[in-house]
Amino acid sequence: MLENITVSHSPHISKPLLTRKVMIDVIIGLVPAMAAAGFYFRVYALILIPACVVSAVVTEWLCNVIRRKPNPVESLGDFSAVVTGIILALSVPPALPVWAAVVGTCFAIAVGKMVFGGLGANIFNPAMVGRAFLTASFGMLMMTWTLPATVDAAMPKIGAESEVAGVTEATIQAATRATPLAWSKEAIKNEYGAQEVNKQLFWGTFMGEIGGCLGETSALALLIGGVYLLIRRTINFHIPLAVLVSAFVFAGVGYLMNSDAYVSPLIHLTGGGLLLGAFFIATDPVTAPLSTKGMWIFGVGVGALTMLIRIVGEYPEGVMFSILLMNAVTPLIDRFCKLTPAGGRPNV
Amino acid sequence: MAFYTRGKLSFPGGVHPPQSKDLTRKSRIEAGPAVKEVAVMLSQHIGAACQAVVKKNDEVRAGDKIGDSDAFVSAPVHSPVNGKVKQIALESHVVVGRSPAVIIEAAAENNPAKQPLLKFDGEFDENRYSPEQVCDAVREAGIAGMGGAGFPARVKLEPNPQMPKETLIINGCECEPYITCDYRIMLEWTKQIIAGTKLARKASGCSEVIIAIEDNKRRAIRAMSEALVACGGDGIKVVSVKTKYPQGGERQLIRAVLKKNVPTGGIPPMIGVVVVNVATAAAIAEAVVYGRPLTHRVVTVTGEGVANTGNYYVPVGMRVAELIEHCGGLTKDAVRVILGGPMMGIAIADLTTPITKTTGAITVLTKEQVGGAKFAGRETACIRCGRCLEVCPEHLNPTKIAHAVKNDMLELAESYYISACIECGCCGYVCPANIELVGYIKTGKVVLAGRKKKVGG
Repeated sequence: MLENITVSHSPHISKPLLTRKVMIDVIIGLVPAMAAAGFYFRVYALILIPACVVSAVVTEWLCNVIRRKPNPVESLGDFSAVVTGIILALSVPPALPVWAAVVGTCFAIAVGKMVFGGLGANIFNPAMVGRAFLTASFGMLMMTWTLPATVDAAMPKIGAESEVAGVTEATIQAATRATPLAWSKEAIKNEYGAQEVNKQLFWGTFMGEIGGCLGETSALALLIGGVYLLIRRTINFHIPLAVLVSAFVFAGVGYLMNSDAYVSPLIHLTGGGLLLGAFFIATDPVTAPLSTKGMWIFGVGVGALTMLIRIVGEYPEGVMFSILLMNAVTPLIDRFCKLTPAGGRPNV
Repeated sequence: MAFYTRGKLSFPGGVHPPQSKDLTRKSRIEAGPAVKEVAVMLSQHIGAACQAVVKKNDEVRAGDKIGDSDAFVSAPVHSPVNGKVKQIALESHVVVGRSPAVIIEAAAENNPAKQPLLKFDGEFDENRYSPEQVCDAVREAGIAGMGGAGFPARVKLEPNPQMPKETLIINGCECEPYITCDYRIMLEWTKQIIAGTKLARKASGCSEVIIAIEDNKRRAIRAMSEALVACGGDGIKVVSVKTKYPQGGERQLIRAVLKKNVPTGGIPPMIGVVVVNVATAAAIAEAVVYGRPLTHRVVTVTGEGVANTGNYYVPVGMRVAELIEHCGGLTKDAVRVILGGPMMGIAIADLTTPITKTTGAITVLTKEQVGGAKFAGRETACIRCGRCLEVCPEHLNPTKIAHAVKNDMLELAESYYISACIECGCCGYVCPANIELVGYIKTGKVVLAGRKKKVGG
């Protein structure tokens, strides 16, 4: 019997929690958003999500083979590549050609994650790296929106009644400007029409019956998934709360100043990628600060930068850039927010 | 009840591991088996190791001093049995590795098993003893903190003009999973603990006395409160604290009960507090009133990997193997023998290791408890999830410290206050990446201490 006795450092018992479980929880949290994507964008979702997941896993495996890892499939078991694949698929336009999505995913995993040394070593969120790559390389494809299958695909409902904010029907039909945030951008330019958007769009952005990226249209689905992650304590509430509150305040100030030019903060929260970003991307632990104080700073940064880009910048959407920017300063935040020991700093 | 404060006193951080105390919580304290040989370690406490004051072939009687030191921070050791000194040799020590011990062959006859229970009545009057008498008796009895750290009790109690003591906390938390020795002592030796508490108060000059017990030990809380009611309370109060690991760590306990922080790198007397374990309090009463040195202690033998479990009153110096044998031996699937509990205890490979004054338990775990799946795998990459920061009761950054040590950047580890770590193991317990954070931190501390010694010499 004695030959079975092993020794190790304390503690000798541990919580049955593994990285794999954390990642599976995130995947479960993404299920409502995937379901909504399937409901609104049908075949696009059915093709894009599996394509991105498979290419993410294959890319990670290839990178492991190239790096001569003794067991190239070992790192796949933590499911982090699957999470990256799903998030990237959910954050691209539904009609993005599959080849582009695959190229983007390969870039996300290879350059966003594996060149840094794999899970835990990357500086930027891999899915956002992939998306940034796609935006820079295939700008037109990344701006081409499809309307949900549940509405008349040939004609956006909201534009049909009138020329909102001076946008002609022709532009709408070109289907390049059909997202709520694009409408709000037009409103800012023309200082007119924001109220029209507020009236018509909130319910659409909440349920998801609106143009936009594959998995970000339905605020409801994202909220359900986010709340699941919060209840499971897979994520902390600090980052999502900071992101949403700071974006709300930023958008609210604009709205109060000129409600003709700036859409309601609720549209900003529910439209675009803010909820997806707040609950699933900004909370990526690898690329977010470790300490609670750091998380607050990080979240406020993401929310404020997003709104800055959306309102002042050229792009209608800013979640991706703001998360990447805050990822870049995360090491600085960590250094700045050094914890003080419970007994105070020793006087040495 | 006037002497009992209910409450959810707690500290930030900590974890809730399965308690697993049901294995032994109902086992009465029994006298252990007769021993043929004991190996009494000459270093069983924090501070200077003792020098043997006996030679090979010397006859010793139970209670005779066999090792002592002139140093202030030290505690003498005594023979638990009548017998003959076989030799003074190196034995496996839980903490410091091979170290000298006095090996005594017990005489077969004339060696009655020591009775665990002494008579203390509720009317015990500590004023028959002067503080100096108490301190001297505690020192001569070789009492060291029995909760685990083993700090010489005399040093703790003796008044120090630079750090006047105001509050005495008697620690009955026993937050480690599995262990029940302190719980049983509180139930069975209640009056002895209260006598020891009064003596400790007398010696230290504290005005406030608090007996702190985790709220999962309701019977112990009731027993202590009732005993206090019976003797008029005398200004001692019992408080229940939240059941959370490491509630029994003295820094955490002070934080929970008094809402005060012991300075980083400092000790409780700096803020006027003394923390004494319940078993130590009982030993103080025995030493002062009956003049009996600390030669025996209660040890919980527990865990799924041992045939029979229980709480045993055994001589210090008894070998672990003998006690396990007495309990029916290890089961087939036993994989880890731990001196102490599963969170902070030390795993041993050599079962001839003797029990010391600080050994509260022998916990034997099977593969299932040590987390078959989790520990079968190697450590994976840190995903910076921050769970270790959340649970750290000292508010440190375990992952940063551990990775600094791993990459041999000890200055960085120091800048993250590696020395403030109390090694409670909460971080390793929650880590989803299987990182042995405590192992790295302990290693870092040892290497740092070695380097400092080199620089100093």
